[in-house]
Amino acid sequence: MARNGEDKKGAGDQNKDLFTIAFKTTIPVLLGYIPLGMAFGFLLDGAGYHWIYAFIMSLFVYAGSGQFLAVALLSAGAGLTEFAIATLLLNFRHAFYGLSLLEKFSGIGRVKPYLIFALTDETYALLTTTDVPQGSSKSKFYFYIAALDHLYWIAGSVLGAALGSVLDLNLDGMSFVLTALFVVLTIEQYFSSEARFPFIAAVGAGALSLILFSSDNMLLVSIILGTLILIGREQSIQRTQRKQEIQKIQTTEKNQKMQGVLEIQNGIRSIDTSIQPVEDKIKEEN
Amino acid sequence: MLDTLQMLVTIAVIALATFTTRALPFLFFGSREPPAMLAVIEKNLPPMILLLLVIYCLKDVQWLIAPYGIPELFTIGVVAGLHFWKRNAMLSIFTGTVLYMVLVQFNVFSFL
Repeated sequence: MARNGEDKKGAGDQNKDLFTIAFKTTIPVLLGYIPLGMAFGFLLDGAGYHWIYAFIMSLFVYAGSGQFLAVALLSAGAGLTEFAIATLLLNFRHAFYGLSLLEKFSGIGRVKPYLIFALTDETYALLTTTDVPQGSSKSKFYFYIAALDHLYWIAGSVLGAALGSVLDLNLDGMSFVLTALFVVLTIEQYFSSEARFPFIAAVGAGALSLILFSSDNMLLVSIILGTLILIGREQSIQRTQRKQEIQKIQTTEKNQKMQGVLEIQNGIRSIDTSIQPVEDKIKEEN
Repeated sequence: MLDTLQMLVTIAVIALATFTTRALPFLFFGSREPPAMLAVIEKNLPPMILLLLVIYCLKDVQWLIAPYGIPELFTIGVVAGLHFWKRNAMLSIFTGTVLYMVLVQFNVFSFL
């Protein structure tokens, strides 16, 4: 019994450690989501809505840019269809996030629906770049990261809605913490992956969509464009590989044919030599 | 101004639309085998998307008006340099953020 208790305590400690590691991982998001969430709450408050709506939205919608868009649409008096279409378009980039998490999330258990629900830009960035501590549960670690980020966002937005007009903090520039986070995670991806082409694809797609499209649509457009570039390159690689294989097969076939011809020639020669004595004999007899 | 019920319905619609975009790939490939091409894409998407998120963070920078995005580019350079050098995420991120806050709050590049 005592052993059992110790084991449980050990597991509890490990759990606590895992939570601490997850918390440390999410600190940059905490520092980014508080000012961003406050900005959202402040805007919603300014549009004349009670802070409880900031809480409900951040709890059930949980999408940074999506919620800013919602405030703009609320102020513009948009209809439900407009809300639905605008939100679908703005957040469609998340569908691409899921594409690269299919394997990571397979067999992760009952936290999967929540992880999918809570898949913001920042949580996606952390989940795809951070390694699960050795010997720890992946589902727990991912859940802690996702839930902590969610909590920061809710706290920020409620703070902003409730106190935004009272507090006069100068948080200018603080949301740059998220830019810095993305820069660091990009470099981590550079270290952990051999592939270099995705970075080239990103610069190309990013520059093109910044020039050709409005800054609001830039992210979705550039992700679609970049994915197409990745697919196109992969297909051209496969095509050249196939060509090389076909060439290989053709040359071996040619060699085999040549060998066949040689064999036939040898055969004829041997027949020739075997005929020779017979021919000589016939000649002699004549 | 929407009343309580309208507001709750609106929030429900936004929540559903957002969740749909996130769940789509899992719903689509939940029961069928993903195509082979997807395996390659799956590996290459995260680095590409992360760099695109960095570029996205710079979308509202006014490149043609002073200070020409120099505070942003300068800070990103410092963050990247520091991270390549020390490879300490917290150090890189916080140095960068504090530096940027100082740069914009004290308008350091106002001479440009």
